[in-house]
Amino acid sequence: MTIEKLKKMNKGKVTHIERVANEMFLIKIKTAPDFSSKPGQFISILCDGHTMRRPFSIMNFAKGNCSTAPDYGVISLLFKKKGDGTAYISALKVGDTVDFIGAMGNGFSLNNEKILLVGAGVGVAPVYYLKKYLNDAPRLIAGFQNADEIPACLKDEIDFISTDDGSGGGQGKGSIIDFLEEEIREYQPDRICVCGPHIVLKLTSEIAKAHDIPCEVAMEKTMACSIGVCRGCVITLNKNGKLENASVCKDGPVFLGEEVVW
Amino acid sequence: MVDLSVKKEKLFLKNPIMTASGTFGYADEFEDFIDVSRLGAVVTKAISLKPRPGNSWNRVIEVTSGMINSIGLENVGIEKFISDKLPVLRKKNIDFVVNLAGSGMDEYVELARICDANKIHAVELNVSCPNVKSGCLEFGTDARTLGELVKSVREVYNGCLIVKLTPNVTRIEDIALAAQENGADAVSAINTLKGLGMKLSFKNGKFYREQVIGGFSGMAVKPVALGVVNRLKSVLDIPVIGLGGIASMQDVLEFFAVGADAVQIGTANFTTPDISVRIIDELSAFMEENGFRTLEELKAVLRHFSPR
Repeated sequence: MTIEKLKKMNKGKVTHIERVANEMFLIKIKTAPDFSSKPGQFISILCDGHTMRRPFSIMNFAKGNCSTAPDYGVISLLFKKKGDGTAYISALKVGDTVDFIGAMGNGFSLNNEKILLVGAGVGVAPVYYLKKYLNDAPRLIAGFQNADEIPACLKDEIDFISTDDGSGGGQGKGSIIDFLEEEIREYQPDRICVCGPHIVLKLTSEIAKAHDIPCEVAMEKTMACSIGVCRGCVITLNKNGKLENASVCKDGPVFLGEEVVW
Repeated sequence: MVDLSVKKEKLFLKNPIMTASGTFGYADEFEDFIDVSRLGAVVTKAISLKPRPGNSWNRVIEVTSGMINSIGLENVGIEKFISDKLPVLRKKNIDFVVNLAGSGMDEYVELARICDANKIHAVELNVSCPNVKSGCLEFGTDARTLGELVKSVREVYNGCLIVKLTPNVTRIEDIALAAQENGADAVSAINTLKGLGMKLSFKNGKFYREQVIGGFSGMAVKPVALGVVNRLKSVLDIPVIGLGGIASMQDVLEFFAVGADAVQIGTANFTTPDISVRIIDELSAFMEENGFRTLEELKAVLRHFSPR
């Protein structure tokens, strides 16, 4: 058995942890040199005393061989403190060890199309990674409940921000979905990639379809194994009229929006 | 090198560490984490005659020291298993047991017949899944019905026949004896306990509930499993494979102490995907360090502490 085959069991060290919005945290984890990932993939973190690992989309990972880059070999994650698992992670300190598996799953398509990225809430993380991966070429728009929910670390990196109550100031008031039609008309994307709550994925996918634009959605579901064996995170796909199961962890988390049975 | 092999009646394993059905897929999924061929045996995800899509509602939820699942036996069906999965298992020298789930007596017999025709060395009858409407569990809760099932399967299947028992019964000894009397070569215990996992949250003046009703597994069930294995060993002659909440070498030793002949690792595979081979390595190192040359020697010493 080669090291290559077994590389998905990983340990890293926390290099940075910071609250970046209301109940939202940025954590940076220094990985082993052989770790690699693509936008849309996730890692699953072991939380002390918990049976199920917690999966998180990767928000950034320095690519290339330039070991002098400041965040080289460092995974950034953005997560919201919601339950005991995320409470455990939010309490980690710089220097603590993180036991994780990954990178898991299939990510977004990577090509030179004109891409519109849509994020909602903490779902901004994987689409931000895609923006960085494609050297900032795509346009990134994101929606948050209010100004307190906008992660400080990303504020200046998002091309357009809407807040439900308008407290974000200057830009949009309302759901990011309210601005999607206009964005599509103005930006004329070849593809849309989206991550956020179920309803945002569904509506974005429907609007994209109406404009005949392919849409990739990054889905979330409670996972037990993160590797495709337990069948706990299964969704239904419609592939040319044929219904089939797909696991969010192994077959996804990125799917073609038009194939997902919402 | 210590000898970890298990040889009892028709149960032959190169080491006592197996992985439990439903927690290890069809084995190939774990190749990114461990050398699967090192395991005593992999028990496949339950296979039914026709593919099953599984349940459509939320399927998993975490609870204290464990989890609840309600997968509903989603699987590719025996035909696809034989054509796609079996050759992979064989090519990679993975020792395996095929877990079979029928929705009626005829289906179990047909599944066993197909396994026999394909020279599959061992099957485990899943008569204890709590998450499907028909078949399955009802065979595991009535001694006479189970006896008839095992007898019919025995007639068409010549390999090692294991019956996986549910703890959701009044007297598990009666069920196990019915399996033994009708030709089972071993039993495995326990399958999951029936349970309900709930998460309530209160946000903006409203309650939100996340809930899964199904099989309870994980570290919390270990005392139940140890208790069951202990009771089974007092009545059975055939080997008992212990499972339920095993997550460390220490746990394995406890199961040996109550008489388990081999063990299966289940939910812990989710928490720590390489736990099974880690336990093999630890067990082997422990025996080496402490002068146990064979697993039988170790088990013999441990059984002095048997609480019977």
